[in-house]
Amino acid sequence: MRVSLFVTCYNDTLFPETGRAVVSLLERLGVEVEFLSRQTCCGQMHANTGFRGEAFSQAKRLVRLYQDAETVVIPSSSCVAMIRDQYPGLMEELGNEEQRKQFAALLPRVYELTEFLVEKLGVEDVGAYFPHRVTYHASCHALRGLHAGDRPVRLLKKVRGLELAPLENLDRCCGFGGTFSVKNGEVSSAMLAVKLLDVLETGAEFCTALDNSCLMHLSGAMHRQYAGMRTIHIAQILASTQEQPAEVSP
Amino acid sequence: MSAPGGQLDDRAILDPAHAPPFPAAALTVLRDPQLRKNVAHATDVIQAKRALLVAEKTDWQELRSAASRIKEEALDHLGAYLKQFEERCTAAGGTVHWAADAAEARRIILEILREEKAEEVIKIKTMTSAEIQLNPFLEAAGIRAHETDLAEIILQLGKGEPSHIVVPALHVNRSQVREVFARRMGIEDLSDDPQALTAAARGFLRRKFLTVPMAISGANFLIAETGAVVVVESEGNGRMCLTLPRTLITLAGIEKVLPRFADLEVMLQLLARSATGERMNPYTSLWTGVRADDGPQRFHVVLLDNGRSSILARRTGRQTLKCIRCAACMNACPVYRQTGGHAYGSVYPGPIGAILTPQLEQMQHAQSLPYASSLCGACYEVCPVKINIPEVLLELRARVTDQERRQARRIFDPLYIGLRVANLLFSRAWLFHAAQWAGRIGLRFFTGKDGWIHRLPGVGAKWTQTRDLRGLPRQTFHAWWTGRRQAIGNRH
Amino acid sequence: MSGIIDSRERVLGRIRAAARNFAAADPQPAAKDAQELAGADAAIPRRYARSGRLSAEARMALMAERLREYGAEVAVCKPEELAAAITQQIAASGRRIFVAPPGIPVAWRVEVANKIKGFECSFDHGLQIGEIEQAEGVMTAAFCGIADSGTIVLHHSASEGRRMLTLLPDWHLCILKASQVVETLPEYFDRCPQPPALVTWISGPSATADIEMTRIQGVHGPRFLNVILADDRGKEPAVH
Repeated sequence: MRVSLFVTCYNDTLFPETGRAVVSLLERLGVEVEFLSRQTCCGQMHANTGFRGEAFSQAKRLVRLYQDAETVVIPSSSCVAMIRDQYPGLMEELGNEEQRKQFAALLPRVYELTEFLVEKLGVEDVGAYFPHRVTYHASCHALRGLHAGDRPVRLLKKVRGLELAPLENLDRCCGFGGTFSVKNGEVSSAMLAVKLLDVLETGAEFCTALDNSCLMHLSGAMHRQYAGMRTIHIAQILASTQEQPAEVSP
Repeated sequence: MSAPGGQLDDRAILDPAHAPPFPAAALTVLRDPQLRKNVAHATDVIQAKRALLVAEKTDWQELRSAASRIKEEALDHLGAYLKQFEERCTAAGGTVHWAADAAEARRIILEILREEKAEEVIKIKTMTSAEIQLNPFLEAAGIRAHETDLAEIILQLGKGEPSHIVVPALHVNRSQVREVFARRMGIEDLSDDPQALTAAARGFLRRKFLTVPMAISGANFLIAETGAVVVVESEGNGRMCLTLPRTLITLAGIEKVLPRFADLEVMLQLLARSATGERMNPYTSLWTGVRADDGPQRFHVVLLDNGRSSILARRTGRQTLKCIRCAACMNACPVYRQTGGHAYGSVYPGPIGAILTPQLEQMQHAQSLPYASSLCGACYEVCPVKINIPEVLLELRARVTDQERRQARRIFDPLYIGLRVANLLFSRAWLFHAAQWAGRIGLRFFTGKDGWIHRLPGVGAKWTQTRDLRGLPRQTFHAWWTGRRQAIGNRH
Repeated sequence: MSGIIDSRERVLGRIRAAARNFAAADPQPAAKDAQELAGADAAIPRRYARSGRLSAEARMALMAERLREYGAEVAVCKPEELAAAITQQIAASGRRIFVAPPGIPVAWRVEVANKIKGFECSFDHGLQIGEIEQAEGVMTAAFCGIADSGTIVLHHSASEGRRMLTLLPDWHLCILKASQVVETLPEYFDRCPQPPALVTWISGPSATADIEMTRIQGVHGPRFLNVILADDRGKEPAVH
């Protein structure tokens, strides 16, 4: 099987270790990975801030870029949710017939990483080894956007050595929300403070999620407060083996 | 009211035309620990009760789907259903008035009260009357309006403003209530036990119920099929207002109409469970016009537009009008849970307020409200009539952006500059890559020895005032990929 | 009044204009309203539970349980014991001054009057507000009970009384037969072939949670709700 990796703009810039982990994980599972170097952004930041025209120009660029891809894998549920929930409206409002057709053809081939593993490859045990206590934060887009349910937890439970610490108030937002975190910086911080109480209460060494955006938000507070917990994208845990342990960010 | 008192005395705080923008208003609340505690407690309690009762209802999703369609159908044929309601209510002895805006509704109500030579009027909680700022208007005309819902008495006597549409005084705790009641009812040895406070309110209002011949209510539903009106309540103050006075005026938004009596079999299963976490609220009243031997002998319905028809014209926004005012969205909202209701600067707070208020204001005020959300989707998940609030928020953000981007001062707005530049960068991969390189160089200046950024200037400071930011890694993913591919290529 | 008539046209005009944006909606003139609305109901997906699944016995038990959860007192009796049960409830309440709607069965009050000293019951043939307010209790029948939500439905017939009758006295004794109890809310609507003009759905005594979400029973409506469930199963057909 051959997949095209859309790593997303912020993973490319801020979390390259996540992209590297996706590549090593998928290759270990016998999947051939390609990476189109012209990729940039899905348009989520613009769409969520009200810049629909700009969001559309990125949407049509992405759709065109991946029109020949067999399967597109994205290690970010919010970017997948952007494509599934917002592209249809953008295409309807601003797109032409051709673009709408192109998008309709692409849509069923777009997968979030854990979705690809479980639904498309049919694996839950990816042969990973990560001997740490970990808690899973269900990002809003994973939980309510993609309806990921316990899929990520099922994957984590099969990781050798991993001790899973359940998180209270799992469905509560961390307060990131893209530009919300600066436009309403104080409210966002207040939400983060509440979330962090639950996360730290787990006593885990690592907090993981399907989205580096939430993790960047959580880790920003953890680091500021010397909380002693770190964040790690789920791809890095699933890629981790005894021979090649996870790359852990500082 | 002591803790949040100062700002609550300001009557303008819930007037969208004068309220401060959401981030500024929220900041005031975030500095009030008592208020945050009160709000968190109340929303926790309702949410826990709601979750239990929704879980026991195995056909919850089917009820939601039916409710959503019923309201859509009512809106699709709104004109026809309103006319049907008018005809049947009139045939049953009611009088139907139409008000295009708030001023007209106020004038109609005042005219009726003047004809009746009313000096006082009793009221059952109606957010619609707060929307048209009816009480201060009547006060100015020399007519005293007595709120009768316990929470509304607390606010009226304490000169406070509602912060929730179902539990309007949830931001006030028992000792604050005690203080207000003791002072305004003249009861010296009042304890702060909610039982005693409730009893005090009962005694305080009993005389009013028995003697004031005029009442004003809102409506939860108008039934087109029969011309009936439905009011949902808990305390019995509603039943008092609806049955004892000589004359009753019901003020209802035009979106409150339901096609059929039997549609209540869906709505009444959803409303109380969503609103208060009860299987059914203690009292629901339905009446049709007037009945010779029972209840008010003069009955008026004022149908209020006040911006609603303009919402009806919007493809995405019109679903806002499906709202049955249960407040489940505010209880579930992580933003509301931090800020409470006053920060929204409207009688409609929380997620539903964030989409309803700017639209009622026809996008002339309250433009900061569509941004008062992290788009987490909790509101949509709990909404009993399936209003996709995040979708409407996004549409409104687009409308606000379209307004703002034409303003000259936005040329210097860092957010606008940033997003415009980002759009350019994302349009060409080489530009994006160059920007990543430049960013890495630029941010190196702000990055500490530990590899983290602790302090950024400008917009970035909004992040770093409470959070660190990991410094940019040396190598982007695409650079790593290119290097790897070359290495593999070299090996072959 | 011309301004107000103009408003009607203005509001309806705006609604028509809004509707023109959508194919599904109504640009038709007034004459066609009835046509437009015909069959609209068919489009509603009514896949929610309509009828209950419980046995008659379990339905009764559920009705009693849900009522008690609201803080109502519930007594269950056989139909032939009804008068005795009413007497017992009233005796235990310590209340003596009662009002009742004129249509309640004679048997319900004869025994009470015989057995309880000082019992007085005024029938509402146009009582004044003050007279009703003076009463310590009220005794009525009901149209229907809904077990799923522990709800009593009054249609305010001659045996259920005017609305204020069950509102002003502090103690409401409501007599319900098992054959009147349905399990689900839709089953109640099935029992209403004609929409009623006046309904009160009562679920427990009046209550509030406005102060710190602490549930307090008894605000302005009756503070006490007592229900007698007469188990007439197999003895007589459904009343309504």
